[in-house]
Amino acid sequence: MGNKQTIFTAQQLDAYQMICNPTLKVNVLDRPRLFYRYRDLAPQLVPLDYTNHPDVKLPYELIGSMPELKDNPFRQRIAEVFSEDGEGNMTLDDFLDMFSVLSEMAPRDLKAYYAFKIYDFNDDDFICKSDLEKTLNKLTRNELTEDEVKMVCEKVIDEADLDNDGRLSLEDFQHMINRAPDFLR
Amino acid sequence: MSSASELVVGSSRSLLAAKRHRTVRKNSRRIYSAYRDHQQGSSDEEGGDDKEVDSNDPEEMFQNIQYQKEIIANIRSRPWPMRRKLKVLKQAREIVLKYEGQLTRTRGYQTAGADLLKKLYRVLYNIVVTFIPWEVRIKKIESHFGSGVASYFIFLRWLFGINIVLTIMTGSFVVLPELLAGAPFGTTRSKTIPKEHLASAQDLDTIWSLGGYLQYSVLFYGYYGSVRKIGSAGYRLPLAYFLVGMAVFAYSFIILLRKMAKNSRLSLVSASDENFTFCWRVFCAWDYLIGNPEAAECKGAAIVNNIREAIVEEQEKKKDTSLAVLISLRILANILVLLSLAGSIYIIYFVVDRSQKLEQEKPELTLWEKNEVSVVVSLITMIAPSAFELVAQLEMYHPRTSLRFQLARVLVLYLGNLYSLIIALLDKVNSMSSTPHESSSNWTNTSSTISSLSAQVPRISVSEHRNSTMATISTAINFVHNRSSLVIAYNQTIPFEKNARSQQDQCWETYVGQEMLKLSIIDMIFTVASILLIDFIRGLVVRYLSDCCCWDLESKFPEYGEFKIAENVLHLIYNQGMIWMGAFFSPCLPAFNVLKLIGLMYLRSWAVLTCNVPHQQVFRASRSNNFYLAMLLFMLFLCMLPTIFAIVRYRPSEHCGPFSGQEKIYDIISDTVASDFPLWFSKVMSYVTSPVVVLPAVLLLFMLIYYLQAIARSLKFTNNQLRIQLQTERTEDKKKVFQMAAARLQTPEASADKNPDQQESDIPSHEASIHTSSSQQNGSVTNVQSPINHSDSIRTITQSASGADLNEGHVSESVRRPAVIVLPKHQVEPLPNRPRHFIGGQSGSCRSKSCHHMAYNPPSGLSNAIHTDPLYRKTIRSLHPVEAAGIIAAQNYGGRRGPTTRYVIVNEHRPRRKLLCSATRIPRHYLMEEPTEILELYPRNIKHYTPRTNPQHPPRSHTSQQLRKEEEETGKDRKRTSLGKSLRPCSLPDHHQQAHFYIGERLDSFRESQRARNEIQKDDEEEAGKEGVDWGDFNLPSPSQASIKEKVCFHTQRHPVHSPRRQHQSPTRSRHMGSQLKPKLRGQLETHLTESDSASIASSSDQQNSSTDQYIQVIHSKERHLGSDVRQEKVSKKKTKANFDINYTESNDLICSNV
Repeated sequence: MGNKQTIFTAQQLDAYQMICNPTLKVNVLDRPRLFYRYRDLAPQLVPLDYTNHPDVKLPYELIGSMPELKDNPFRQRIAEVFSEDGEGNMTLDDFLDMFSVLSEMAPRDLKAYYAFKIYDFNDDDFICKSDLEKTLNKLTRNELTEDEVKMVCEKVIDEADLDNDGRLSLEDFQHMINRAPDFLR
Repeated sequence: MSSASELVVGSSRSLLAAKRHRTVRKNSRRIYSAYRDHQQGSSDEEGGDDKEVDSNDPEEMFQNIQYQKEIIANIRSRPWPMRRKLKVLKQAREIVLKYEGQLTRTRGYQTAGADLLKKLYRVLYNIVVTFIPWEVRIKKIESHFGSGVASYFIFLRWLFGINIVLTIMTGSFVVLPELLAGAPFGTTRSKTIPKEHLASAQDLDTIWSLGGYLQYSVLFYGYYGSVRKIGSAGYRLPLAYFLVGMAVFAYSFIILLRKMAKNSRLSLVSASDENFTFCWRVFCAWDYLIGNPEAAECKGAAIVNNIREAIVEEQEKKKDTSLAVLISLRILANILVLLSLAGSIYIIYFVVDRSQKLEQEKPELTLWEKNEVSVVVSLITMIAPSAFELVAQLEMYHPRTSLRFQLARVLVLYLGNLYSLIIALLDKVNSMSSTPHESSSNWTNTSSTISSLSAQVPRISVSEHRNSTMATISTAINFVHNRSSLVIAYNQTIPFEKNARSQQDQCWETYVGQEMLKLSIIDMIFTVASILLIDFIRGLVVRYLSDCCCWDLESKFPEYGEFKIAENVLHLIYNQGMIWMGAFFSPCLPAFNVLKLIGLMYLRSWAVLTCNVPHQQVFRASRSNNFYLAMLLFMLFLCMLPTIFAIVRYRPSEHCGPFSGQEKIYDIISDTVASDFPLWFSKVMSYVTSPVVVLPAVLLLFMLIYYLQAIARSLKFTNNQLRIQLQTERTEDKKKVFQMAAARLQTPEASADKNPDQQESDIPSHEASIHTSSSQQNGSVTNVQSPINHSDSIRTITQSASGADLNEGHVSESVRRPAVIVLPKHQVEPLPNRPRHFIGGQSGSCRSKSCHHMAYNPPSGLSNAIHTDPLYRKTIRSLHPVEAAGIIAAQNYGGRRGPTTRYVIVNEHRPRRKLLCSATRIPRHYLMEEPTEILELYPRNIKHYTPRTNPQHPPRSHTSQQLRKEEEETGKDRKRTSLGKSLRPCSLPDHHQQAHFYIGERLDSFRESQRARNEIQKDDEEEAGKEGVDWGDFNLPSPSQASIKEKVCFHTQRHPVHSPRRQHQSPTRSRHMGSQLKPKLRGQLETHLTESDSASIASSSDQQNSSTDQYIQVIHSKERHLGSDVRQEKVSKKKTKANFDINYTESNDLICSNV
């Protein structure tokens, strides 16, 4: 990668490698590749030189159209959670962050934490019924009837709510999700 | 005077204490910081911390460096935004670099070297990772179809890896030596194609049926020479052959078991029997790897189905359906399945038998006849699963159950096929190898000569029948001719002839190997065909003909082929079973399987990507799922059995293969031991294998097994015990979480005040401490009031009030409030079980009270009125100067005690939580405090009440306790009892403290009391009317019982008025008098109440559940109040007035706004 140096300094690259969980297990070309992924979303916006930390943000519309996300019902939430401004507009750092967490090498707890944030639509640190309803509706594309949604919400809270406050805290969520057979790295 | 000296001592003490706290805190921060960072993730103190440590102590420096390194190592797993990570990383690195250089130069070099190594390792790892086969392909599939489908390919890849190893084993130890050093092709009889066959040896037909050149090649057992040592190095090929054959099984077993153990370790967590059906279906439903709109749609539909299913299941749980029709249908289905299984087994057996007969009867077999067996087997394996699926629809099971049934049936079918095949084959082998055994009596002499005779003897006169039998190896025609002639000539020797022929012509090992290889090939062909036909063509048709068809092909009848993960995985297992079965007889079978798997990989992945849709009901086969592996293990075991059986049971062929001439195959071992090892070794071996050793060894093994089983059982038992313990812990934890929630509700905003709080706690300034405490109170007030929209909040207010009343008004108060009212209210409160006893009950009583108030007071004043009224009542009664003095003390106690206990709880609670949930979101204000800081908080809080109350009535404290006991007995309410108990430990430390502050106390208290008295009088005047109402209230709701009790209580109460027990009884009241000079005091009262409430809840619950908790609490308070009580008392004396004034106004405003 001849132009690796021009995009990032060696330190930057190294730091990124230290910080991020490797994605796709192929790490050598990983950072620059992710960078190109980022840049390809909007070549006109993103400069090729990142040595002096330019302040560039890609709007959510571009992020959400990535093949990794475009079919995900929670894409907007994911973008919002990982973006620093909370509106889905992402800097390169946010972008890398997202891939780092979604990487299959990322530790379980980290994933659980972010999963919780993703499902916590109103950012109140609890998954309450409204969050659950939103989750369900996104997941099922509004195919469930209202009663069904209601019942499922009640059931979910009934199952996972340890402290009986009618909503799921992060502890509840982790407790539940860590026992899920499918929640694996 | 002495008070002054006390003060000095006290202040110095507190200074000391503060200092100590600070150091403790520093250390603890260093120790716990890793945890903390990991947990909260949002604290920004990190940076500050890093710079903070500047000392030159090498030990400390080293620790710091270690700590920083830890940060660096853990940084990946922290939920921080990237920018923060970068910053922290940079800082940590700088520090490490800086200090490490300072520490020693060599260490610097070391780290530099380590860094370099690490980098190198990373590069190497990356390179290695790049070579993981099909990683990208699998990822692509994963992105299109989700992890379920990908798991199939990962499984395939894993099998591929195993087969590679098997291939290497057989290739390098058996095939290669034979090729390099063994006798070349055509030199011995077993390596030469008989003349008669030579002509057709290159025919496609022959090759196809693995005859001709293939039959006499390294592919099969028969080719390998039986020479003990080959080559110049003296490679013992027969021995190697046997050992490798066994090693194949051993390796497979080991690798499988290891994988399973690893997986089970992984999935241990998920093995718990907790049920989160709905949660998992909601939160774990989406496959985040899906990146294809079609797959996404499928997944969405599947999720909807899934959830609906769960709902239906949930509904059907309530009603049990026992439909005779359904049951009969299921029985029918099972009969059908059994029939088809039996049928398939019979067909296979029949086909093998027929082929055997055909072979003997017909000189030329057609292509069909040659491949009949394997084709039939493959056909059955292809068709039967679909039939089972159809049958399964009859049963109307839940999809998951039906899938399980399906899998089990298919597995049984596969096994049945393989077994019937191998049994039929062995049957044939039996007829091949056992008859010559009988007749070998006439044979043995000549057999050696026969074997030595080469195949070059082409023509043998018919007359010499032994020679002719040898010659029959050559061609079928010749043989037929021979036989016919023989039949004519020697009628009685026909079987003998036959056997002789078969013995020389084919060795049964080769035959079995051929069959297995043939089966494998045919299976491959069928797989390819089915992929092409069923998936590809169907896909093409559906895609391109759907326009010109009258119905929608894509969604109605043919649809696209589904990728059935479970069945495909089963097929892989079946395939692997064939390999294991045949590997001993055909050393190249693993190699062939490797090729097959590669082909399958590409074909399948292509087919999946082009023309498949994911299965609707995804059988969750995550990587840690041991289900498939268990099946594979089962398969391995069952496939090993026939091989072992054949090895043990049958005599190896006389004229081919590495073991020719031996009685049994495994004799090679004893032969080798006898001939090639030194004498002592064989002696030792003979001893070892003698029954004298073997029997005890077996016994020992049995004992070992028994012992291990016993251990396993006991472990299981412990496991259960631990689980039970965990459950109780969890219920306790639930309760604590609830308490946290309650505390949070009261003081979410107090969190803001806590930072200053902590800082000030370090500084021994009295002003600050008082101020903070008051500010805390304010905060809590606002919080109690603010979340009015929550139903919870109101409840907590009431609860708190009642709790406080119980505490402060002491038993008299609580008794007066009839317990009868309390109980029925329990159910109303959606609180966790245990706390409900305390909180619910109290709140219930309080509620009832509040209702009455509602009647009399405007709703705005509701909660205030509730809590204040009992207090006023008391104030009237107790207008004693001494008491007033005590009141101040009590006020302090009352005000502060709440926070104290609460923090104690938090403190002991947190570590436990850490254990339970690794990363946390603890309410913000808790996050900000370190455990140590919490410790710092409560000395301040506790000390007040201790010194002050006691000095005034030191001798009474005992009596007060007695009184309390009596009251408890009368009350009979369990909750109250626990409350009383919980209070007692607090009062104990008081006794120790009395002497110190006696004088000072007096003076202060006296002053205060005077002022207070004035206030009280004012209060009384103001509230007189209201009080009257309140009194009435109390009587109204309570049953006659309660009113009686009330009276009793009044009497009892009068005694305690003078006693130090007042501390419990009258904190609120004292607050009135000491500080709350204005009518606004209500707000303040409330804040205190709420705090003390939480304290009471906490302490009471602690009391009940674990005596240790209580104990801890006591100890803490003891430790702390020694140091810091003095300054507090001073504070209270001087500053209370001003501060409280401020507070009242503030709090009141807040309340008003909220209301």
